[in-house]
This record gives sequence, structure tokens and C-alpha cells, in this order.
Amino acid sequence: MAVKPIVIYPNPVLKTPAQPVERVDAAVIQLIDDLVDTMHAGPGSVGVAAPQIGAGLRVCVIDVSNNRHGKDNNHGLLLMVNPSIVARSGNSVMREGCMSVPDYTGDVERATEVTLRYTTPDGSPREIAASGFEAVAIQHELDHLDGMLFLDRITSLKTGLFRRKSFK
Amino acid sequence: MNDCRKDNLAHFAVTIIGKDRPGIVADTAEVLFKLGCNIEDSSCTMLGGEFAMILIVSHDKPFSKKKLEAGFAEKNMGNGLSAFIRTLKDDEVCYREPEGELCLVSVYGCDKPGIVYRITRELAERQVNITDLNTKLIGSPNEPVYVLMLEAALPNGMSVDEAAGLLENLKKELSVEISVRLITPVSL
Repeated sequence: MAVKPIVIYPNPVLKTPAQPVERVDAAVIQLIDDLVDTMHAGPGSVGVAAPQIGAGLRVCVIDVSNNRHGKDNNHGLLLMVNPSIVARSGNSVMREGCMSVPDYTGDVERATEVTLRYTTPDGSPREIAASGFEAVAIQHELDHLDGMLFLDRITSLKTGLFRRKSFK
Repeated sequence: MNDCRKDNLAHFAVTIIGKDRPGIVADTAEVLFKLGCNIEDSSCTMLGGEFAMILIVSHDKPFSKKKLEAGFAEKNMGNGLSAFIRTLKDDEVCYREPEGELCLVSVYGCDKPGIVYRITRELAERQVNITDLNTKLIGSPNEPVYVLMLEAALPNGMSVDEAAGLLENLKKELSVEISVRLITPVSL
């Protein structure tokens, strides 16, 4: 169990797609523990993906239950190995920030509902349907596993409203 | 950047404005690059038919405003661009993260004098700090509609509902729609 330093961009691990976990062994369990400790150490953090502590594996942890946007609609602490989103619907915009990109925030459009498949730390498959802020957090953390940052997804400059004469 | 700037840098506020055309940003950036200046922060947008740039630039000391002015004079004069430059004191270049909630206020309705004034005065009196604001006149010439969008940091302890309450009376007085919503960034 250890709190790891959060890797900050431009560290290349953040832009490198993470490798699938072939077997949940002691090292992966250790990684999950470290991710949980690191998440709990970050002020207001609701999720950490393995690349954010320098590990290029498809592992992440999420817990939005202590966040005001997620406290009434969540699955508690999610420990996810090889997660993938198999269905998504709806969309909403939130202003996101990321521990790996300090001092910058931006409006990002995300699905409001996602269906997620992953392997639990004991090696069994699990499928959940998440919505609201938990769904946003899941999409943000899974992006980290694909080498994507929220900077890649910002949909508008905030001053862009009402500037266009025509909408296509 | 949250940190105060380094002591060895001189900072300047640069404002460039002129009739819009392709190349204004490139021309401005070229002047700054050739002088060895860094663009620390900037916001640029179209306003009517003008393009307006506001930049905070830095350069290793010693460096004077005169060198910037000469650089822009050489490049831009005759192109219809105006450049205004102000030297920043050290205490002007520190950025403090707002501590309270961040909210977005939308105001829109039939155009009339005083919308921006009344809304912003009400906010200022309660120490609500505007961090971004833009306005636009839309609608038809017969029925012009005014749209004001602003982002503001609320003082510590003020809720978005309280902020909305401050503006409630202005809905009637100005006959405008006003909505206030939370946009405090989520940390992921």
C-alpha cells in the first residue's frame, strides 16, 4: 500500500495506450492498492488510472460516492481491470480538470449513461450500468487507458457561444 | 500557472485590435517571437468586425516597453492594427485561484440600456468576481435581443442559489431571463 506521485503531462506514459492485463497476479493487486491509496490522498479525487502513476496497464479505480455530484448515484468503490465501455447513450457537458494536467480546465461532452464490462480483482467478470457523474468519471479514467487526455476532447472555447451566424 | 513569475522576467500587457483579416495572430506572434518574448497568457476573439487580442508577454530582464512598441510599429502600422502596451509590476503577474464556487450566469431578453450595468453592479456589491464575460446583440432589427454570458467566482461560502437570489429582482426590473448554474470544475 502506497501513495504514488501523480504523473504530470508531458510524461509520455499519459499519451501511450495501456496494455491489457493478462492475469490478475500479486503485482496487479499491488497496483490496484496503490491506485486506491493515491486516489484517497488526492484532494477531491474520484478516480485514478494506472498510467497516472506511471504504470502502462489497463487498470483504474473510481469512487464518486464522496463527491457532491455522485453521492446519490454510484456503485461505491470500483476496482477495474481491463474495463471497456460496451454501450453509451445521452450526452452532457461538464467542466473537467485532471490531476495530470494541473491548472487547466475545459468543457467536455460525455455520454450520460454507460454500460461497462471489466474484471474484478478476484478475476471474475462484471458488468454495470452507470449514469450521471459516475459515468463521466468512468469515461475520463478509461480515456487515460487509451492515451487520451480531456484536452483531446474539449468541445468548445467558452467564448465561442453565439459567435456563429450559421450552424451546420 | 498559479505561481508568481520569476524575478528575472519583465512582463507586459499587450492589446492588439484591428479590422479582422487572416494573419493578425501570425503577425503578432511573429513580432513577439523575433523579439524573444514569451506569450504567457492570452485571450483573442472577434468582436464585431474587429479582431482583438489581449496577451501577457514576458522577456528576460532587461527589456523595455519601447522595444515592443518599435517591433509592433515596424510590423503593423499601415495594416490598420493598433497596439497598446503596458508594463506590469511584479505584484500584477501573480494569479490567485478563486476559492469559491464558479458559476455561469445567462441573461437574455429584449435589448435595453443598462443590462450589463445593473447585473454586474449587483454582483460586484456582493464581492462576486467576474472571470469571463461576453455579450452579443442578436435577433432581428425590429426585435433586438441582448445576450450576456458571464462566468464568476463566488465569495467563499456563497451558494449558487444565493447568487441567483441576488439577481432575482432584476428579472422583473429589466424584463430579462436570468439563470445561474454551477460550473465549478470537477477534478478527475
